[in-house]
Amino acid sequence: MDSESKLINLTIDGTEVSVPEGTTILKAAERLGIVIPRYCWHPGLSAPAQCRMCLVEVEGWPKPQPACVQQVQDGMVVNTDCVEARKARRGVIEFLLLNHPLDCPICDAAGQCMLQDYAHETGQLRRRAVEAKVVLGRDHVTPEIVYFADRCILCTRCVRFMDEIAQEPVLQVINRGHKGYIDTMTDELFEHPFSMNIVDVCPVGALVNEDFLFKARSWDLDQTASICPGCSQGCNVALGTKENRVVRLKPRFNPEVNSYWMCDHGRREVVRWGAGMRAEVPLVREAERLVPADWARALDATVEALRGVEGGAKAIVDPGASNESLYIVRRLMDQVGFDGGSFRVSSGPQQVLKGFPKLALREDRAANASGAEALGYGRVDDIYGAVRSHRGVLFVLEEGLDDAPEDFADGSALFVYIGSVLSPAARKADIVLPSPSFAEMDGTFTNFEGRVQRFTQGLRPPGLARPIWMSGSVVLARLGGGEPFTSAAAAFAALAEEFTAFSGLSYEKIGLTGAVSAAAESGATAS
Amino acid sequence: MSDAMHAAIAGAQPSQRAEKNPDAPLFEGVYKERFDSILTRYPNKRAALLPVLHMAQEIRGWISPETMTRVAELLELTPAYVRSVASFYTMFALRPVGRYLIQVCVGIGCDLCGAEEVTERFLELTKTRIGETSDDGKYTVVEVECLGACAFPTVVQVNDQVYENVKAEEVESLLKELD
Repeated sequence: MDSESKLINLTIDGTEVSVPEGTTILKAAERLGIVIPRYCWHPGLSAPAQCRMCLVEVEGWPKPQPACVQQVQDGMVVNTDCVEARKARRGVIEFLLLNHPLDCPICDAAGQCMLQDYAHETGQLRRRAVEAKVVLGRDHVTPEIVYFADRCILCTRCVRFMDEIAQEPVLQVINRGHKGYIDTMTDELFEHPFSMNIVDVCPVGALVNEDFLFKARSWDLDQTASICPGCSQGCNVALGTKENRVVRLKPRFNPEVNSYWMCDHGRREVVRWGAGMRAEVPLVREAERLVPADWARALDATVEALRGVEGGAKAIVDPGASNESLYIVRRLMDQVGFDGGSFRVSSGPQQVLKGFPKLALREDRAANASGAEALGYGRVDDIYGAVRSHRGVLFVLEEGLDDAPEDFADGSALFVYIGSVLSPAARKADIVLPSPSFAEMDGTFTNFEGRVQRFTQGLRPPGLARPIWMSGSVVLARLGGGEPFTSAAAAFAALAEEFTAFSGLSYEKIGLTGAVSAAAESGATAS
Repeated sequence: MSDAMHAAIAGAQPSQRAEKNPDAPLFEGVYKERFDSILTRYPNKRAALLPVLHMAQEIRGWISPETMTRVAELLELTPAYVRSVASFYTMFALRPVGRYLIQVCVGIGCDLCGAEEVTERFLELTKTRIGETSDDGKYTVVEVECLGACAFPTVVQVNDQVYENVKAEEVESLLKELD
């Protein structure tokens, strides 16, 4: 905003406020903490002023004004909660509910529905209309999104998202009035890599994600601030969890990374992840068999095995592992002689969101490839070739090893597998340390542009699974002295001391929206 | 077919001389000239959508999805947008209609003076239901809001011909007159 721009003084609900010229009444009211009811207005979209829900009284003006587009004027006196404004809102609500099925008990949006909220706040208790309601039915608009036409209030947020942000205007309002509904040109479904944002922008339960349909009530969900692990963009998200499962992902606003949006790929990945067998308990090889052990025994065995081992240490890591985990594995390797660590990244076509080009589904379909690189791991195509003739210690962190060759790790003196799922190759390990998924622990990812972002724990890890920054730091302490880390923050602090890509950063500085280290920033401007 | 209409009203006369051939080529020959002259009336192509749709209906009798797609191409719009506009206005037929589109006014004046009986009689004689086309493809009966001739109820418009003071008992002779 131009600091030179003129300030306008006005009064909203009896409180004076100064805002820059050109501000709308709705925005000015937000400065005072007054939320003017709205449907069609969304902060990420244009304002068509068509739902008429934000009508407010401006003293001395003949008609109520739509707050979402009416700009402030000097000396304006605005009332958002007076009789006239409430009457206007009540009228809008009555019309919206005229043909609404009132099926809240089976509606996915119940509990997070703006129609429910405002009807409760300003609507009337009883229906005056005696006519039968118009029934329009429901249909898919994409293979994963169902449209309930009867619940739709025709705010056109989804139409404008596809037009302005996706820039593929496939959705339109068809017919008019009580017969109006949202549809594409043909009866065919449309597909777009960012289509599920239309579910997020929908203020009611008209557009719902089939993945989530009838799975949970919104008020039963716990919300956890996290980072989407689907690609190297690192979209800020909120995990919606229930009964120790992630049931949905919603984008969390971050103007630097993903604004209000995120792609469909990330949502699918996380919700569908974790259905298979999990490693729940440490395993130690005894007489050719992997035997379950408690952590004390597993750590004893690890310390014992690492003492006096020769041949250096190599590692295969997964670029979806957190910086803290990658760091501890790096430190463990240093103890026995770092001999190189490698990772591979699965890739897919890049898909840019045209209306917010900072955001794209990136080619690298892993959250932390940049972090792994910053911590000294190398990106390779053939992770198995890098360790083929290795005779020393082999660490594998989170990499699934699904396509490992028959003779994988046969020559290594010690094979430690740290991960959450056990493939046949992982079962060849001498020691297995079960670790949680990203949703089950605290940590950080470094996104494609070097931005370090925190994710927080939303789920209980299964069984005895513990993050490697915790268990590994105990091993480190016993091998080389010092204290084990008691939190991910402490592990990160040690990491930031050691690696310049993280220098000056701490959990406090990163907060919940991420930060770029001074070193990384100057490096970026220099290159 | 000559076209002597002034550019300002060209295309605003719906199905007066409709060829009503659903497969007729769109905007060729004389229609191409009209199409071009419509475009000159507006600052951009999008603004020409309504008159162009009217002309398309005049040529083909109704607005099919193929017609919408073609119009979208010509006016550089998305097909969905054209469908949105075409479906907003009831004067565009989004399904094939009979050779005679019988529009019975059910505005308040006509309604009070027996529009319902007139509609019933039309449906009875054409053996159709509202909006359906008779088996011989000749008739489609629809109810419309005020046709703007409230002093002469009931008003009935068949294609572009307006009939005033229609009584239920006159419907039969009106239909005969059409053939």
